[in-house]
Amino acid sequence: MAPEGNKMARKTLRTSYISTVVSISLVLFMIGTLGVLVLHARKVSNYVKENIQLSVMLLPDAGMAQVEGLLKVLEKSEYVKSATYVTKDEAAAKLKEDLGEDFVEFLGYNPLLGSIDVKMKAQYADSENIAALKAKITASSVVKEVYYQQSLLDDINKNMKTLALVILGFSALLFFIAAALINNTIRLALYSRRLLIKSMKLVGATRGFIRKPFVISGIMQGIYGAIIANLLLLGLLYFAKKEIPDLVEIQDYEMVLTLMGGVILAGIFISGVSTFFAVNKYLSRNTQDLY
Amino acid sequence: MDTSNIIKLENASIFQKKNLILNNVNLDICKGEFVYLIGKTGSGKSSLLKVLYGDIKLTQGEGAVAGYNLRKIKNKEIPFLRRKLGIVFQDFQLLTDRSARENLEFVLKATGWKDKNKISDRINEVLNKVALGTKGFKMPHELSGGEQQRLAIARALLNDPDVILADEPSGNLDPETSNEIMNLFFEISRSGRAVVMATHNYSLIEKFPARIVKFDQGKVFDHTQN
Repeated sequence: MAPEGNKMARKTLRTSYISTVVSISLVLFMIGTLGVLVLHARKVSNYVKENIQLSVMLLPDAGMAQVEGLLKVLEKSEYVKSATYVTKDEAAAKLKEDLGEDFVEFLGYNPLLGSIDVKMKAQYADSENIAALKAKITASSVVKEVYYQQSLLDDINKNMKTLALVILGFSALLFFIAAALINNTIRLALYSRRLLIKSMKLVGATRGFIRKPFVISGIMQGIYGAIIANLLLLGLLYFAKKEIPDLVEIQDYEMVLTLMGGVILAGIFISGVSTFFAVNKYLSRNTQDLY
Repeated sequence: MDTSNIIKLENASIFQKKNLILNNVNLDICKGEFVYLIGKTGSGKSSLLKVLYGDIKLTQGEGAVAGYNLRKIKNKEIPFLRRKLGIVFQDFQLLTDRSARENLEFVLKATGWKDKNKISDRINEVLNKVALGTKGFKMPHELSGGEQQRLAIARALLNDPDVILADEPSGNLDPETSNEIMNLFFEISRSGRAVVMATHNYSLIEKFPARIVKFDQGKVFDHTQN
């Protein structure tokens, strides 16, 4: 009989402990997901900017030596991430594939020009730098013209700034909500133990002595919650990578590890501080105010 | 009997929030003295005990317990006042999330005991004193009302306190155990500790006569020793 009752009491305590850990882990997972977005936002921005392409159309009579000379100049330029020479035959093959028709056979000749596809380094991918580079390239004797989508470039730069601000504001708001949710969960869990805290006070335990095991337990709940949140986060990243292969390009494992460390720290901090204040609240109350 | 006062109240008025419960209380209790507090339910016995262990602030009049001034005592000093008192609460105030032994262990650790062997020996000693030597492993809810009461008494005895404050300690006990507990309290009292006991059990008072303090209509009447 005795062990049965004992088991039940411990089971109830364990259930309450587990549900608190699960609540904390879900909130930390939410923070972690946002952290992934924030940390990757810059990478996404760079990825998009470095895919902005300048097409340098070469004159039909451009010699190979001159083209290679221009390629070398471009590759050495601090603005340029990559420069790829596309011959007129390669351009025709690609267009043929896109159109699904052999236009060379239809026309009887290949009207396309050889070109160099230039991709900018992210930090220089703005209107001013691109215009400067365009002017420099156009001055070359083998270049017919240089073109890129100015409106797309402007849109990307403008939207990235707005997106960064929105994500930053949203992060702050979500962090506040997360802290409030964890705080509320812990306070509710401790509410059921307020009379126990009162009993501890009545038998002569100091505030510090009573508080210590509660705060340690709160920190442990934060750590367990953070570990679960990190596992969920890893699962999310794994499936995201599977579903969106392009993500491989922007995923940074060092960054993910830092983020997971951050989630653990956030778990410890929010749970520890919330427990500290919740216990203090009950320690400071008069007995009559506890009922 | 040592005649120095261990409890002293002078013109003390006791309030529960803003309600006046007891007016102009004067009470002196010496070391080794055994005092019954009697009166109807709601007459203020428990409130007086609460003032003595610092659960209700004394805001009017003067009071001192075991060297602590009840008017001037700071919140952080209250745990140290309580360590000088052994308190048996009407509702036991046991820690429901741990076994009987762990309840006693908590008090000893909270009051600075470190040595595991000494802690274990002291727990065995007090559990045997209240005839719970074989039930230390049980959770409070697995103990009967009387056993919980005895555990609360064992807890009060742990630190060899200067004063025992007991609120209806025989309320849940059978007559035989009541007698044993009363003998125990008198033994404690004879060893130089003051015992203040709130009770309704008049047959017990007849059997174990001692000084009586009566509570009636917000006033306290101190009867001379029986």
